Amino acid sequence: MHALRGVSLEVMDGEIFGLLGPNGAGKSTLVKILMTVIHATKVSGAMLGKPIGDRLTLEDVGYLPEHHRFPYYLTGNQVLHHYGALAKVTRNDRNARASKLLNRLGLSGWENKKVGTYSKGMLQRLGIAQSLMNDPKLLILDEPTDGVDPVGRREIRNLLAELREEGRAVLLNSHLLSELEMVCDRVAIMVKGEVTMQGTIDSLTKDSKRYEITILGSIPDWATACCDEIQNNTMIIHGDDPVAIQPTLDRLRADNTTIISVKPVRENLEDLFMRAVDNKDSPGAIQ
Amino acid sequence: MQFRALLLDAYRQLSAAKLFWVTFGISILVVISYGSIGFNEQGISVLFGMWEIESVELREGSPWARGLYIGIFSSFLVNIWLAWIATVLALISTCSIFPEFVHSGSIELTISKPIGRLKLFFSKYLVSLLFVVLQVAVFCIGIFICVGLRIGEWNPMIFSAIPIVATFFSYLFCICVLVGILTRSGITALLITGVFWMMLWSIQTSEAVLHRFVIEQKVDIERFNEGIENSESELIKIQEVSAEDFRIPKLEKRIETFKEDLIESQEVLDTLTQWHTPTSWVLAISPKNSQTIGLLDRWLSDPDGFDIGAIMNGDMRAFEGEEVEEFDRTTRGARDRETMRRMRKEYESNSLWYVVGTSLLFEGFILGIASIYFCRKDF
Repeated sequence: MHALRGVSLEVMDGEIFGLLGPNGAGKSTLVKILMTVIHATKVSGAMLGKPIGDRLTLEDVGYLPEHHRFPYYLTGNQVLHHYGALAKVTRNDRNARASKLLNRLGLSGWENKKVGTYSKGMLQRLGIAQSLMNDPKLLILDEPTDGVDPVGRREIRNLLAELREEGRAVLLNSHLLSELEMVCDRVAIMVKGEVTMQGTIDSLTKDSKRYEITILGSIPDWATACCDEIQNNTMIIHGDDPVAIQPTLDRLRADNTTIISVKPVRENLEDLFMRAVDNKDSPGAIQ
Repeated sequence: MQFRALLLDAYRQLSAAKLFWVTFGISILVVISYGSIGFNEQGISVLFGMWEIESVELREGSPWARGLYIGIFSSFLVNIWLAWIATVLALISTCSIFPEFVHSGSIELTISKPIGRLKLFFSKYLVSLLFVVLQVAVFCIGIFICVGLRIGEWNPMIFSAIPIVATFFSYLFCICVLVGILTRSGITALLITGVFWMMLWSIQTSEAVLHRFVIEQKVDIERFNEGIENSESELIKIQEVSAEDFRIPKLEKRIETFKEDLIESQEVLDTLTQWHTPTSWVLAISPKNSQTIGLLDRWLSDPDGFDIGAIMNGDMRAFEGEEVEEFDRTTRGARDRETMRRMRKEYESNSLWYVVGTSLLFEGFILGIASIYFCRKDF
């Protein structure tokens, strides 16, 4: 039985890459293989120019696992120092980064409190701070906004955008499609251990771009010939070229038809995700 | 840097546990109680002079006072407090270290760092022994000061209790670690370790009992052989004088009885050896807890021959400082004393390699299994 098969991904510097898929798709397994938490039967590829599984590479990788658990007896500051030291960060760097990161993640004032007293959202933010202690070139975050309130989520989104600006590569694994859509440059959708779709959200939704023209009253007979779909009093014309819909609009005007709205529409990430998951004939689907 | 981080983490984990401080507190109380025993010109004083016992032998400056004071430490405080009560408390405190370490959500954070799993495993194992090292170190410092102040002997060998007790504890802790990693349950690890400890105790006790019986039979055989030899030479002497002497049938009867007893003892010895040999083999490959702790008794033994262990076994001649080299065959008590003396001599002749080396080999084997499992496991 294979948890993952033929997964091929490329994450660039200064890019936020979203990894999405239903439960059991193998997203966390993939991330764990990259972080040497799981041993793959066979794996080829490189991470930061070194073979996957090379432990020294991990010095430049930050990782936030899903459902992480910090030792209850440590304070926030001690957590950062402990995991920083394990990541071979020198004491001076740890001292400099810990307070900066706690501040950046909105945890200043909590640095000397035991993590047992932290809320779920605070633990999540501390987890992100921990993953940044080694000043990583690649950041792998597994469900980073899990349990975080909307304000916190926005802060994390902003932080991710800043990290991108700093030239770091971020691999984001999340169920929250709307979050990913707002922040990711590219996404990959995994289903049953394989990547079924991969690219920028724009390129993946390109085929779904269309114009929806809603009119008052019933659709005239001639319209069936010049539009791709009709839904009640809405005409749907596929494509993203506004020039292509002008003749139809002219004719509607000439017929004195009242036009209620003309909307350019494209699939959102959720539609795309549902399409990838539902599409049993997708090239990567394991039957 | 990574080892130091793990060490610091272990200390923080221990100091966050109430039981650590409870054990620490009891340790200090034990040291204070020990320090409350003193000697003056009249005799011995207990509880800082609240209770005084007049004694000619146990008074300030006497070798027996020294023997008693050191003996209380090496025979009672180490054997009872450190090797039993403090060890149980230490196991309770540390049994969950590895289960928590490999707990889902926690282990990913650690093994995703640039540190090899084998190094991580053994570093974590070593720092987990910190509980015992810290407790025993503080205990030994207290004892060192008490011994220095009370009998004027600043004996650094007292600190040998630190590696001895830590090694003793590690024989048990390796089982705790293996079970903890396999089951991720501290309670299960503690229970299995308890069962293992009892098993070790049974093996060691069985071997000691069988060994005692074997030596007893050997002593008897020697006694019977010597009896036969003496009686026969006496018989020859008498027969040379007179072949009709009334003592001849009595002596012949005695020789006959000795021979019968000898055959019986030889048979018993053969049967006992059949049981003792495999038991001693099992013991040879098992951790030798009692003998490891016994090393301290050996190293702290009294130069004047005072042996509190022997006194506790009822051998008051040891208390009297007599050399018990010659085997007195006249009483049953002498036979028991001789058996105990030979047993003690045999155990003391066991090399450090046999006592600690073979035990560490066992520990290494268990840790080998645990580390292979840890290194290959997908978390």
